Amino acid sequence: MDRQIEGASLDTRRLQRCIGDLVSLLALPAVWRGSEPQQIGRTLLDALLRMLGLVFIYAQLKDPVADATLEIFRLADPFTLGVQPETIRQMLGDWVTGDAGNALTALRRHIGNIDVSLFPVLLGLNGELGIIVAGSERADFPEQTEGLLLNVGANQACVALQEATLLSEQKRIAHELEQRVTERTEALAQANEDLRNEIVERKLVEQKLRQEEHELKRSEERWRSVFENSAVGVAITDLNGRFIATNPVYQKMLGYGRDELQHLTILEITHEEHIEHSRTLVGDLLDGKCRQFQVEKQYRRKDGLSVWARNNVSIVPGTEGEPRFLMTLSEDITQRKLSEEALAKAESELANLTKITSLGVLTASIAHEINQPLSGIITNADTCLRMLSGTSPNIEGARETAQRTIRDGNRAADIIKRLRTLYSKKSPQLESIDLNEAARAVGSMLQSEMLQKRVTLRFELAEYVPPVLGDRIQLQQVMLNLLRNGAEAMSTVVDRSRDLVINTGQDEDGHVWLSVKDVGIGFQPQAIEKLFQAFHSTKIDGMGIGLSISRSIIEAHYGRLWASLNNGPGATFSFAIPCEPKSEECDESRSHPADKPSDAASSEAVIEVRRGDTKV
Amino acid sequence: MKASRKSSAVDGQLACVIDDDESVRESLPDLLKEFGFVVRTFSTAEEFLLSDSIDLADCLILDVAMPGMGGLELQRELISRDRKIPIIFITAQRNEADRDKALKLGAVEFLYKPFSDIALLEALKVALSQH
Repeated sequence: MDRQIEGASLDTRRLQRCIGDLVSLLALPAVWRGSEPQQIGRTLLDALLRMLGLVFIYAQLKDPVADATLEIFRLADPFTLGVQPETIRQMLGDWVTGDAGNALTALRRHIGNIDVSLFPVLLGLNGELGIIVAGSERADFPEQTEGLLLNVGANQACVALQEATLLSEQKRIAHELEQRVTERTEALAQANEDLRNEIVERKLVEQKLRQEEHELKRSEERWRSVFENSAVGVAITDLNGRFIATNPVYQKMLGYGRDELQHLTILEITHEEHIEHSRTLVGDLLDGKCRQFQVEKQYRRKDGLSVWARNNVSIVPGTEGEPRFLMTLSEDITQRKLSEEALAKAESELANLTKITSLGVLTASIAHEINQPLSGIITNADTCLRMLSGTSPNIEGARETAQRTIRDGNRAADIIKRLRTLYSKKSPQLESIDLNEAARAVGSMLQSEMLQKRVTLRFELAEYVPPVLGDRIQLQQVMLNLLRNGAEAMSTVVDRSRDLVINTGQDEDGHVWLSVKDVGIGFQPQAIEKLFQAFHSTKIDGMGIGLSISRSIIEAHYGRLWASLNNGPGATFSFAIPCEPKSEECDESRSHPADKPSDAASSEAVIEVRRGDTKV
Repeated sequence: MKASRKSSAVDGQLACVIDDDESVRESLPDLLKEFGFVVRTFSTAEEFLLSDSIDLADCLILDVAMPGMGGLELQRELISRDRKIPIIFITAQRNEADRDKALKLGAVEFLYKPFSDIALLEALKVALSQH
């Protein structure tokens, strides 16, 4: 009984111990989590070695991570066997691998000093996970429970190994994933960075563009403001004169609306008298003869009225996208023109009345004034004689007529005195005069007047003329008179250029001549002498007086003044004066002149004082 | 007092002198009186037209250049009124055109100042014979 009880308590103890070991074994995987296969193997083998009281334990484990075979050998006590561990291990290794194709069975072998039972346990199905070989001294190894422990242990190992595999796989995947994520993150970060940079750059560019746009807009606004608010009219046209843009001042000046002008050209609104001139000027501009020109011209407003404008026209060079165009700055000078015209008229009236000679030439007007009291004197004297004759003289009457005679005489004297102060001047300033130079001076003086009358003054002077001796002012007055007459004669000409040509020259008999040729209305040949008569005038402002006095001046210079009709339209008025005797070019001999425009009639002034002879 | 040269044809006829010049208005009437005329003077043509002399005058001695209505104008005016008075023009201006015009319209004479008394008398005689 004791033996049975002893035996039973031995079994119980063994079982208890076995359960305890099982629990430990079962707890192992929890410990093994995250461990290396090597560690797992060693831990397990050590546990089994102890639990089963083995002599040694050997295992070959397939390391899933390293994809290698792990060999572990644990020897309980090296001295028991008396063999080197290495040798045992080698032998076991050979045994295991040698019979890899056959199923391994347990056997008992003599190793070293003792006999050992070798018990293989496969890990995994068909040992793909490895093999464990337990070595025990006991011949009856393994008992049931021991076998159970070994199997459980092996199972646990498998589980752990598989888990380890999974885990490592997971780890690997995780690692790989992590790596890929890192890579991807880096790539994304880079892309992000690039994108951000691009955005920043783009923003900068956009900002710059916006700024430029803003500047451009401001500039455009500024220019538009200048254009719209300019105090002068501004008009932009294409090279054919068609309006592209006009500003309010220009529109107002012409009485047209903005859109109406878009359909018109400059020539269409130019006053008919100025069309040819305008055309010529623009032509010169387009040909490149000048880059800009100034002109005073008239426009025809929409309502038919005319306005005077002072224009500055320039050509604006084109750019890549834009062709050339014309720009006109236009200032309304109608008021000024009217004032100028009134002034000119007043001036010319004044000039007509102004004293122009001091050589004692009495005009018909003087004669006219003197004649009244003279007539009175004579009549009174006649009456006086009648009263005194006969049988009974009328003394009282005679006395009265005599007194009236004296009164009239005094009146005449007063008139002469008055006229003398009116016409008085210093004695004639005689000097050496170059007619070319004098003519040019007169021309420049009349420049604006000629411009206003659209007369073109052409100086076709001889290269050299010898000087004449005379009164510069008087001679210039004569030129002034001839030029103004010439302009006046052309005042109705519209179909041709109003050319006034001034020529000078020298003839063989020592005279210097000057002629003024116009293309005006000319005169009736039979009326030529009337032109020179004091009061002959076909015009309101009495230019007739001018010619009469001009002739007198010239004759006082020992010269002569005459007129002739041109082959074409218009007339030529000329005068010739002897040159200064001292000058070497002057020919002293005076022969009759030839090849000059003929003198149509002799002169006839009502009262004149001649000095010297006049050659005809 | 009648002078020997006085024409018997003149016997108190009315002569009207129209001239803006004072010397003429002073001197001429006496001479005309010596000739035997009765004289009235006017300084403007308008004055004459407004007076009754227009119906009574036997002859006119008329200046050409006057302010306002001139002598030639007055001549035309009288013609238009069908008042045929013989006119002798006197003027200081030598103007052939005016002379022609005046004579064409029936003026008796066109004298230039200063004129002689003889010339005037001759003209007056012609004027009276027309009347």
